[in-house]
Amino acid sequence: MRYNEKELQALSRQPAEMAAELGMRGPKKGSVVKRRLVKLVVNFLFYFRTDEAEPVGALLLEHCRVAQEEPSGFSISFLEDPERKYHFECCSEEQCQEWMAALRRASYEFMRRSLIFYRNEIQKMTGKDPLEQFGISEEARFQLSGLKA
Amino acid sequence: MRAMKLNERSVAHYALSDSPADHAGFLRTWGGAGTPPTPSGTGRRCWFVLKGNLLFSFESREGRAPLSLVVLEGCTVELAEAPVPEEFAFAIRFDAPGVRPHLLAADGPAAQEAWVKALSRASFGYMRLVVRELESQLRDARHSLNLHRHSSWKAITSRCKPQASDHWSAGLENGHSLSRDCSPTALVEEGGSRPAGRGLAEWELQGPASLLLGRGQSPVSPETSCFSTLHDWYGQEIMELRRVWLQSTQGSQPECEERDRP
Repeated sequence: MRYNEKELQALSRQPAEMAAELGMRGPKKGSVVKRRLVKLVVNFLFYFRTDEAEPVGALLLEHCRVAQEEPSGFSISFLEDPERKYHFECCSEEQCQEWMAALRRASYEFMRRSLIFYRNEIQKMTGKDPLEQFGISEEARFQLSGLKA
Repeated sequence: MRAMKLNERSVAHYALSDSPADHAGFLRTWGGAGTPPTPSGTGRRCWFVLKGNLLFSFESREGRAPLSLVVLEGCTVELAEAPVPEEFAFAIRFDAPGVRPHLLAADGPAAQEAWVKALSRASFGYMRLVVRELESQLRDARHSLNLHRHSSWKAITSRCKPQASDHWSAGLENGHSLSRDCSPTALVEEGGSRPAGRGLAEWELQGPASLLLGRGQSPVSPETSCFSTLHDWYGQEIMELRRVWLQSTQGSQPECEERDRP
């Protein structure tokens, strides 16, 4: 699959929702923990060697699962292979919880569901469709039917 | 120069998954490795799928693997001066220097307009803006509803759990809407349909209801599939609605009565 690395590199330089130095271990068996600067930008998690400006890699956070590991760590895995986990080690339980919460909210899919939920609630309470003001009430992406039953 | 890693398998899986596409259609494209820096020729016709802020292309509608990915952040979409003689072209231009714009062409003016619109609104930031706006509108709507209730039904709210209005509005994990008909039968149907959502609950992850829960707004989790708990919980809405109606028809102060369970 082709993608423009420069695009992603530019994205990695954008203001981050969360950024911290964490221990990171890849999903391959036998991989070791490395210190990485981990940066959450929109629905991508970038990770950098601590002394480099360009990211080593990125994880798209759609259809991902964030789970707690050990006392102050978490893992990210993906729908198509739940056992293949990227591990992260935090310096405290608090930091770990903060990251987990942020990562769970970080997907576009999550925002879409939130939007549909709020729209529906507002419609129920006020009788009005709040998306009309944006001129996007008819768009397929915002329909209730877009949610899985 | 080391190549940047990306979880490509997961990205491709997401592209092919049945999560809703925000837009899809055939477009001609001039991008891609091995193509000259200035567009020439009629371009390559591919099947494009927009999901969120990600634009994927496939060789065909039945393509089993995406050909390319464009991340739609930090970019603007505008009608383009077509390479001669291409019509209905538009370009995705990136703010970041050194990132080549993507030139695309639709089959007709309607498709061109629809694509430009969809791509312009594809960014994460735009979605976040809309969500935050709705969030605050919902807060305002609840707040004024609470104020109204609080002044009318002091006796009842003292018996109800705090933030009672948050109970019945907080809990729609998959956005199922409570029907306007608040009869107990309607509730049963709603309740019965909820467990179907649970199979995906783990992967659908922290939906908005859970977010509200995280703020401690309901002691009852909407993720419980225990029907009697759900029934109780929704039942509160019925009781409150019934009292509003009673009050408005009788025009008297509500009495502090024993809450009878439906």
